[in-house]
Amino acid sequence: MEPTNFKHLFSSYDSNENLFDEIFDKDQNVRQVYKKIFELYNGHSIDDFVNLNNKAKTFFFNQGITFQVYNDTKPKEKIFPFDLFPRIIDAEEWKTIERGVLQRCKALNAFIHDIYHDKNIIKAGLVPMELIGSSANYLTQMVDLDPVAGIYNHISGTDLIKHSDGKYYVLEDNIRCPSGVSYVIYNRNALKRSLFGVFNHYEIQPVVDYSENLLEMMESVKPKGVDVPTCVIITPGVFNSAYYEHSFLAKTMGIELVEGRDLLVENDFVYMKTINGLKKVDVIYRRIDDGFLDPLEFRKDSAIGVPGLFAAYKKGNVTLVNAPGTGVADDKAIYTYMPEIIKFYLGEKPILNNVHTYHCSRPTDLKYVLENIPNLVVKPVDEAGGYGISIGNKLTKAEVEAVKKVILENPRKYIAQPIMSLSVHATYIDECQSFEQRHVDLRTFTLLGRDKEFVLKGGLTRVALQKGNLIVNSSQGGGSKDTWVLKK
Amino acid sequence: MLARIANNLFWMGRYIERAEHTARFTNVNYFSSLDAPNKLSRDRQFVLKSLYEMVGEEDFEKDAVLVEEEVLYNVALNPEKHYSILQCITYARENANSSRDLISNEFYEAINTFYHSVVNYSKSHFVTRGLHDFTSHIIHQCSILKGKIRGTMLHDEIYALIKLGVNIERATQITRIIQIKYSDAEMVTSEKPKRLKKSFEWTTLLKCVDSFDINRRLYKKPPTKFTALEFLILNPNSPRTVLYCLNQIQMHITLLDPLKAHEKNTAAFIIGKMKCEYHYKTAEEFQDNVKEFITYTLDSLVEISEKLEEEYFYH
Repeated sequence: MEPTNFKHLFSSYDSNENLFDEIFDKDQNVRQVYKKIFELYNGHSIDDFVNLNNKAKTFFFNQGITFQVYNDTKPKEKIFPFDLFPRIIDAEEWKTIERGVLQRCKALNAFIHDIYHDKNIIKAGLVPMELIGSSANYLTQMVDLDPVAGIYNHISGTDLIKHSDGKYYVLEDNIRCPSGVSYVIYNRNALKRSLFGVFNHYEIQPVVDYSENLLEMMESVKPKGVDVPTCVIITPGVFNSAYYEHSFLAKTMGIELVEGRDLLVENDFVYMKTINGLKKVDVIYRRIDDGFLDPLEFRKDSAIGVPGLFAAYKKGNVTLVNAPGTGVADDKAIYTYMPEIIKFYLGEKPILNNVHTYHCSRPTDLKYVLENIPNLVVKPVDEAGGYGISIGNKLTKAEVEAVKKVILENPRKYIAQPIMSLSVHATYIDECQSFEQRHVDLRTFTLLGRDKEFVLKGGLTRVALQKGNLIVNSSQGGGSKDTWVLKK
Repeated sequence: MLARIANNLFWMGRYIERAEHTARFTNVNYFSSLDAPNKLSRDRQFVLKSLYEMVGEEDFEKDAVLVEEEVLYNVALNPEKHYSILQCITYARENANSSRDLISNEFYEAINTFYHSVVNYSKSHFVTRGLHDFTSHIIHQCSILKGKIRGTMLHDEIYALIKLGVNIERATQITRIIQIKYSDAEMVTSEKPKRLKKSFEWTTLLKCVDSFDINRRLYKKPPTKFTALEFLILNPNSPRTVLYCLNQIQMHITLLDPLKAHEKNTAAFIIGKMKCEYHYKTAEEFQDNVKEFITYTLDSLVEISEKLEEEYFYH
C-alpha cells in the first residue's frame, strides 16, 4: 500500500524547453542513460527521499566535510549542499571530454613554457605582448627557469558547460589551485551509502584513484638526484576555506600537511621541522597563491609562506606543484586565444569549444561590450570563486551604467561573454521537497607529470541552487552532485 | 611527524582528559553533597568553591556568596572561560582539525560530532535540570573518543603523543583532585582532627576518579585517608592512579625515541626516574606529610611536561 502522503518525486518538475535538460529530451522522454535510474527513483516516496537526503547531510556534517564561509564575525562551517540524483555521462561523451581537457592542459603547459622562454607565440603575432606583460600573474622571476620535466600546470581544473546546442564549452581553465576534488570522492561515498541498490544497475568508473595518481605525479617530478622524494602539501592553515580538502589529500596520499611555519630553508634546501629534527622536503603541492609563497621574493607581508623557498626552487632543489607563475595562463584574457594556442603548439584543432570572448582591452571588443551589456556576462579576469561577475540580463538600467563605468576604469581587467545557457539537471530542492531543473556545470581534474597524464573519470558537477541562477560556485551558495562516467 | 602537529596531538589528549575529569568532579561533588553526612559537606557554598578550586577560577572573592547557576555555567558551558568543558572540547577539536590528515576518520567523526553536541547544548536546561545529563554525556563521549583512539589508530608515534597527553593530564588531574579533596576533608574535620582518617570526603575523592568500587574490592573496607591515598597514588594496576600513568608515560615516550631513555636530563630519563621512585615508595612514607608530597608530585609532572615541550615541540 502506498503511504498516504505519497507524491512522486518528479510531480512538480517544470521543464523549460529553451534549456538543455540532461535527463529529458525535447519530447520530454527520459534519455537512454537515465532510464533506469529515473525508474528507480520515481519509485521512492518523498518521505524516503527527505530521510535519505537528511542522512547524507548528517554524514557530511559529522565527518566535518565542510568549507568555511567568511562573514563579519567568525568563520562559519557549512556543508556543500549535495543531492542524491547523480549526473550521468556516457562513455562516448566522456571520451571527447577527456581528450579535450588533456589537449587544453598540454597546450597551456607549452604556452606557459614559451612565454617564460622564447615567446614564439608572441613573435608569431598570435598573442599580444601587452596581455602577458600586464597580467598580474606573470612572474618575471620565472623567466628562463626550467621546471622539472618542463611541467608547469601539474594539476588543472577545467570548467565545462553544456550549451542549449547540446555541445560542451569550456568556461574556464583553473591552473592555480583548483579545488573541489575531495567533494567528488565524498559525493560518491555519500551516494553509495544512501542508495546502494542503484549501483547494481550501472557500471561506473571509480573516482577513488585520484590520490594515488596525484602522489605518483608528484613523485614523477622529483628534483634531480633525489631517490625517494619526500612530498608534502602546504596549506595556509585551518581557517582556509579549502582546508578540509588539503587535509583530505594529505591523508589519502599519506604525506604531511604542512604550514609555512613548519618549513625552513637552509643553503637553498627546504626542510620541515619534525619531532626528530629537520627533514628535507623535495616536492611541495602548494595550496597557497604565488604571492604568498615566499616573503623574500614576493609579498613581503606574507605570514603563510616560507622565506627562501623561491631560491631553493630556482636552484632546482625543490619542485613546486603547480609552478609559480602558471596563473598567467588561466587569466580569462588568455582564454580568448585558446583556439590559436592549441593550434600553434599542438598543430591540432580544439576538441572542446571556447565560449566567444570579448576582451575589453581591444577597442572594437570594448565598443561592442559597452553597447551590449544586457546580453553579456562580464567577468573580471583574475578573480576566483564567482566574485565580481555581472550577468547582463539580470541588471537594472542603473546597474548596467555602473558596470560600464567599472569597465572603462580598467578595460584590461574585464572580459565579456555571451550569456550561455548552462544545461539543467533534476536536482532535489529542500524547500519544495521535490525535483526541479537547476543549472549545472562540470569541473574536471587533470594531472600532468613526467610521462604521465591522468584525467579523473568523473568530476565535480556543481549546481546553482537558486532557480534560474547561473552561478554555481560554492562560495555563492552552489551545491553539487555525484558525477558518473559510465564504463561502456 | 611535524613538531607543531606533535604539540597539537599532545594537547588534544590533554584537553580530552581534562574535560572528562572536570565533568566527573562536578557531577560527583555536586550530587554527593546533596545527602552528605555532615553539614559542611552539604553546604552548597562549600561545594561551589571546591568546583572553582578544581578548574582554577581565580576571579572571585574568597568570602563572596557564589551563585550556583553562574558557577555551573562557567565550569561547563561558558565560552569565555578557558577552563570550561566547552572550551576544552573546542580546543581538542581544533587540535584534531589541525591534524585530521593523521588521525583516523572514525576518531575525527567522533570528536566532531561530540563538539557539535556540546556547542549546541542548552544553557538554561543545563543550569536548572541538566547537570547530570550533561556531565554524563561528557564522560561517556570522552570514553568513546579514547576507545576510537585506541581501537582505530595505528599505535605509532601519533598514538604515543596523544597517550602522553592523556596520561600526563590524568596524573595531574588525579593529583589536583587529591589536593582539593584533602583540603576539603581537613576543613570538614577541622574541629575533630581524629575524624580526618575516616572522613566522608575520601569516598567522594575516589568517586571523582571513578575508583570507589574498585578500591572497596581491593581493601574490603570503607575508604580511609590511608587506603584512598595509597590506592590513588601507588597502585600500579588501576588505570586511574599516578603510578599507572607514570608507567604509561614512560612506555609512550620510549616509543617516540627509544634511545633517549639513556641520555641524562632528557624527558624520557626524568620520567624513568620518577616512575622508579614511585614504584618503590610506600604510603607509610608520606602519610605524615601528604600535602608536601602532593605538591612535589605536581611539580614533577609540570617539569616532565615542560621538558617534553622543549625536546619535541619546539624545533
